[in-house]
Amino acid sequence: MATSFKIDLRRGMVVTGKWKQGRYRIEKLLGEGANGKVYLVQRDRNWFALKVGSDAVDLQSEINVLQSIAKQKKQGQETFLFDVDDLYGPDGKEYPFYIMRYVLGTTLADYLKQQGAEWFPLVGLNLLGKLAKLHHAGWVFGDLKVENVLVADYGHVELVDYGGVTAVGKGIRQFTEIYDRGYWNGGSRSADAKYDLFSFGVLCIQLHEPKRLHGLTTELLPQNRSVEELMQVAESSQGLRPIAGWLRKAFGGEFHDAGDASAAWRLLMHRSDTHRTSGIPGWLKGLVAVSAVLLGTSVYWLVRNML
Amino acid sequence: MKQILLITDGCSNVGLSPIVAAAHANSEGISVNVVGVLDHGDVGELGASEIEEIARAGGGLSRMVNMRQLSQTVQMMTRKTVVQTIQIAVQKELKQVLGNGSIEALPPDKRAEVVRVIDELGETSGLQVALIIDASASMKPKLAAVEEAIRDLMLSLQARQGKSEISVFHFPGSRNGDDCVMDLNWTDHLNGVQAIFPKLQMGGTTPTGPAIMHVIDFYRQGVYGRQSRDETDGMMSGYVV
Repeated sequence: MATSFKIDLRRGMVVTGKWKQGRYRIEKLLGEGANGKVYLVQRDRNWFALKVGSDAVDLQSEINVLQSIAKQKKQGQETFLFDVDDLYGPDGKEYPFYIMRYVLGTTLADYLKQQGAEWFPLVGLNLLGKLAKLHHAGWVFGDLKVENVLVADYGHVELVDYGGVTAVGKGIRQFTEIYDRGYWNGGSRSADAKYDLFSFGVLCIQLHEPKRLHGLTTELLPQNRSVEELMQVAESSQGLRPIAGWLRKAFGGEFHDAGDASAAWRLLMHRSDTHRTSGIPGWLKGLVAVSAVLLGTSVYWLVRNML
Repeated sequence: MKQILLITDGCSNVGLSPIVAAAHANSEGISVNVVGVLDHGDVGELGASEIEEIARAGGGLSRMVNMRQLSQTVQMMTRKTVVQTIQIAVQKELKQVLGNGSIEALPPDKRAEVVRVIDELGETSGLQVALIIDASASMKPKLAAVEEAIRDLMLSLQARQGKSEISVFHFPGSRNGDDCVMDLNWTDHLNGVQAIFPKLQMGGTTPTGPAIMHVIDFYRQGVYGRQSRDETDGMMSGYVV
């Protein structure tokens, strides 16, 4: 539990690994997860992210998952985990840390605010692709939420905070209530691909209707939380209506895994109404309508003449 | 693994000290976790220090939370205590093998191995959690949140691979002289349980210590009861029908 986590590394400090003597210069705090803090660091003019934890067992458990995933990676894929060691904090105590690839990006909500909601379908697809890779290797992300998705240029997506990653079949290691299937009485807390897809569905609602989603969590009695309540928000939201059918499937566990779900998502993307702002000008629509009518008339005329 | 989870909002005021009772539990191999539920104010300095000390004596964790955080806290504490219990057992083994008691002192690759074992055992070993709910008058408005937390805990335990059971008690009992009343015997599901606390009459006293002793007794009986039942099942199953 992240109760009394006091370590505070300041800009310019150089930390040295106790076992492998790797030296890292602290640049700034990037974020705080359930198991520790993440800093931007520099080593030999390369940027990395350093995660330092308070509890050696908790952090090692997370590292074990990362190492298992790394072992499964095919050649040519980017390395994610670079170093695992202990450091001496300013208080003289030892803290475990690991070094991972630094992902330059903004959080999902900020990205859509800055770049526009028209990026949402593509970012969603890329996110489903990331999940599909994990699922394929036998893992479930677990703690999927807006804060744990970083988006870089042109909608590239990275998952951060692997503290919730769980092997399929075990109990989800870490989750956030409003994204949790059990919280919405939508199923168990066992790790399966459908668990992530449920969270993905809540994430879509969080992006489009954050206030109404929050409203549900405060108004509803625990026994009345349901997929139906989530669907009501989705169906009455302009941004979500085009994907409402997809969401219902995700909440109902109807997709086998993220691969399956992303195939269905891709189909949606090629329907014009998925994009909130339709790119087709009015006159073009009119032209299409006119030519359709003309075609109809000529077919009718042809058929009539043939008879 | 056996745990007691005490949910309270203040100080005990009758009977045996809850700190002594928690130490008893610990010596029986039962870890005692304590959650202090705050309303708008707090539980007072006396209540806070008692809560902390009960957990320390009981080899468990303590935390002060408001009602909204209750479910998540209960779930995390239970999980964390499971890991801790196993960690202590593994550390004992380490002391014999390496002459070194702490996991932190191991180099990262060895640590990885040990933690893998801890995680595996934590997920697969059997777990029993007895919840003791303070039902003194001031807790009344909080019982809905407590019930939600219990249901939520059950959901998390059901996701474990090992056998997991909970039982629920509240104190004081409605009649005079009852320190503690059982609401729910060992179960691994809450399907069909409409209300865990039907029509509670909130009592005035807070016999936290006696309630813990009552539950230690219940654990003891449970062990004996089960063992003898298992024997009957195995050896004399012909007579049972």
